[in-house]
Amino acid sequence: MQNLVTYIVLFFTAIVMQAQTETETNADAAPTKYQQGMRKAFQLWQEDKSWEAANTFERIAAVEPDNWLPPYYVAQINVINSFTEKDPAKLKAQLDKAQDFINDATAISKDNPDLLVLQAQLYTAWIVFDGQQYGMTYSAKASELYNKALALAPDNPRIVLAKAEWDMGGAKYFGQSIEPYCKDIQRAIDLFATFKPAGEFYPTYGEERAKQIQAESCK
Amino acid sequence: MKISVITFFSLFSPFFIFGQNTVAGSVTDNNGTPIIGANVYIEGSYDGASSDDNGKFSFETSETGTQTLTISFVSFETFKLTDDISKMKNLKIVLRDDVNSLETVTISAGSFSAGDNSKISVLKPLDIVTTASALGDFVGALQTLPGTTTVAEDGRLFVRGGDAGETQIFIDGIRVFTPYSPTTDNIPTRGRYSPFLFDGITFSTGGYSAEYGQALSSVLLLNTIDEPTQEKTDIAIMSVGGGLGHTEKWEKSSLSLNASYINLAPYIAILPDRNDWQKPFETASGEAVFRQKIGDGLLKVYGAFDTSNFALTQEDVNQSEGVRFKLNNQNFYTNASFSEMLENDWTIFAGGSYTYGNTKVGIDESDIKDVENSAHLKLKLKKRFSNRFKLNFGAEQFVTDFNENYEEPNFASKLEFNNNISAAFTEADIIFSRKLALKLGVRGEYSELFTEFTVSPRASFAYKTGKNSQLSLAYGDFFQQPENEVLKFTNDLQAQHTQHYIMNYQYSANNRIFRAEVYRKKYSNLVTYNEAMPDVNSIFDNSGDGYAQGLDLFWRDNETLKNIDYWVSYSYLDTERKYKNFPIEATPSFANTHNLSVVAKYWINDWKSQIGFSYQYGSGRTYTDLNEPGFLQKKTKGYNSVSLNWAYLLSQQKILYFSINNAFAFKNVNGYQYANTADSNGNFARRELRPAADQFFFVGFFWTISDDKKDNQLDNL
Repeated sequence: MQNLVTYIVLFFTAIVMQAQTETETNADAAPTKYQQGMRKAFQLWQEDKSWEAANTFERIAAVEPDNWLPPYYVAQINVINSFTEKDPAKLKAQLDKAQDFINDATAISKDNPDLLVLQAQLYTAWIVFDGQQYGMTYSAKASELYNKALALAPDNPRIVLAKAEWDMGGAKYFGQSIEPYCKDIQRAIDLFATFKPAGEFYPTYGEERAKQIQAESCK
Repeated sequence: MKISVITFFSLFSPFFIFGQNTVAGSVTDNNGTPIIGANVYIEGSYDGASSDDNGKFSFETSETGTQTLTISFVSFETFKLTDDISKMKNLKIVLRDDVNSLETVTISAGSFSAGDNSKISVLKPLDIVTTASALGDFVGALQTLPGTTTVAEDGRLFVRGGDAGETQIFIDGIRVFTPYSPTTDNIPTRGRYSPFLFDGITFSTGGYSAEYGQALSSVLLLNTIDEPTQEKTDIAIMSVGGGLGHTEKWEKSSLSLNASYINLAPYIAILPDRNDWQKPFETASGEAVFRQKIGDGLLKVYGAFDTSNFALTQEDVNQSEGVRFKLNNQNFYTNASFSEMLENDWTIFAGGSYTYGNTKVGIDESDIKDVENSAHLKLKLKKRFSNRFKLNFGAEQFVTDFNENYEEPNFASKLEFNNNISAAFTEADIIFSRKLALKLGVRGEYSELFTEFTVSPRASFAYKTGKNSQLSLAYGDFFQQPENEVLKFTNDLQAQHTQHYIMNYQYSANNRIFRAEVYRKKYSNLVTYNEAMPDVNSIFDNSGDGYAQGLDLFWRDNETLKNIDYWVSYSYLDTERKYKNFPIEATPSFANTHNLSVVAKYWINDWKSQIGFSYQYGSGRTYTDLNEPGFLQKKTKGYNSVSLNWAYLLSQQKILYFSINNAFAFKNVNGYQYANTADSNGNFARRELRPAADQFFFVGFFWTISDDKKDNQLDNL
């Protein structure tokens, strides 16, 4: 059983999430403390100092109780790093921390598709860690979250991509056609072309990943 | 003048007046090892830093006056320091271990648990039902754990030299009074409840919490699923019947329904067994769980109804024409519980259950009709003073009303009793550090029937001996009323009593678990009587006693062999007791010395199949050979059985399943029945008690329909 689940989830795990690189700034105004902090955090993340970036986001989260983005990024860094963590105690601590910050962010921003996808990725991290123990329950939960996220944001390319990639894994394993999901990937790529984030520091990753999947699986 | 100078300076250069303060210091753990990457910051400001490779930090801040400095790092307790900012230099911060972390010691003496996130789980939820010999019965899966005895013809749990009645089963903390379908000699029973509705199982073979009483040997705790993951429909078509399950979810509530019908008639028509069935076993059952969130609380209502019947003629050494036996049983169980987190770290739990059991048994010319009405009410409060100290306390009430009508052509009688027990318990969990934890509890019970008050202290202790290993000790006193079969004749008795002493060692790392447990159990006040079959005229007494001691070993490995997950359990048991009508202290026939189980699961990716293997060995059990002097002086040959199963995934949601129990058709003899009277040569004739059938075959098709098209019933097989 374990391998079945591991095999399925391997397709979902590799969402390479990239830190936000360019943010449009209003050239007229001097950057606020919030902007300075967020830029510093993204810079640290890009320099491969993801833990320092997470610490910075955590500090910002503490002073910005009404903004879901800082806790979202704290959770995201903890989730991404847990995919490569092999020590169960550390992994659990990281995922518990991520869960706390997802809970915080969700309290600020309800029914947020990006948070739903992040929650699904957190479940995926548990499944990758121990498919036999967590596979059945958490894969069903993750599926439900992807469905919900897509219903909330049917034209958000990142959500379209995340759900297509999740479904594709299952279809590949059972030798079913991945054709419909390739169409979804193409649709995500088309949507990325015109995608505008809702605001400064909002998540923008995903376009390169979509192209990569298309190149690997849909040719 | 001075004022205006200050104003002047502050307008143009605020730093001149207040300056930039530097906050600096180092962070270490208890042992002085630097903590790298800790988050250090002034609360309410953007100012902060991460500790470097030497655990040192330093940052500038424009904050002044009294401020709170926060230092946090995963798996440590967050540390807060409130002081004047100018004094925050050369700080030496020591972070305490977070005792909520996975590395903290857990009290593991006596208990096995299966469930998500549990630190001491040796079985995973899937295992309960993918074990080859279990045939979907969770009790069958637990029989592969150490501490249990193979009593193949019975089907119930026999733990550490205790008989089946010494194990109690609880659903969501509330007692189940009639957990097994009644059956007759040599026809094994099954647990009534489908594994489909449970997600947490704890099986304790001794030394359990003060919250649980009325069990001399063991408790089995089943928790229903709090929140189902999705709406789905499950369909099962099996060689012995069918099943249908459905889950519906709403915003704050959900309902799961499960119905099954089993009829062994077609199976027995194709593969007749040693019994002469007039009416092969037939059972219909339905279960429902409803859950509703109320504020921060959760209400769960569980209901189960089943009806079963069969009639057969069994061979008997005293009656050449055999003994006719028929049984008709209806059982209804409902259980409701509510739990809520209150303010100030209080948690409340309130629950109750009601059981109605109606059993009609016909043996040759006599008819016995039993009606049992039982209820259990429980209220529990929990206060978490800190991560390191938690207190539980509560009270509960058990009510049983039992009626029996016995009729045969020239005789009729009526027996009844009421058995009410009131109990209160309290227990404290104290975690001194990640290495040392203690649980202390006490339970008091008052029996109205016996006008007797009992006090049972319980204590357990755990010490972490290394990164992956720990040692636990447990002690406890346990009381239990005699069973209905005795209480219906007399109430002039006392509760039976055991004392458990347990030492447990556990090592777990890299998907491997090793457990070793030694125990000693002392029985006293066991019920004795002066006839083979007790009746109204028998003399009852509490003069029985006994002991059980032994060693349980468990090894599970999911790492060494690719795609193979296996576990091995071995139990050594030495037990003797004097109870019932035993003339001397002897090893009862349900106990044996050696038990071994080997369970393996092999996933074959190319075949999309899981192959399961299970081997059970039980050394011989005692019986009394009437042709030689002595009592329970002989032993049968050992019991052997190899079971195999194969689950094949036709597609993501369709599974084909095959299983064979006792694949190699070992000839097992469970015991002997001797004639009541000797023949002309002074010899008592005997007959072997063999299982009704040596082997059992099962074929099933399981189909799940859900929105995500991924879920399947592999975990229910």
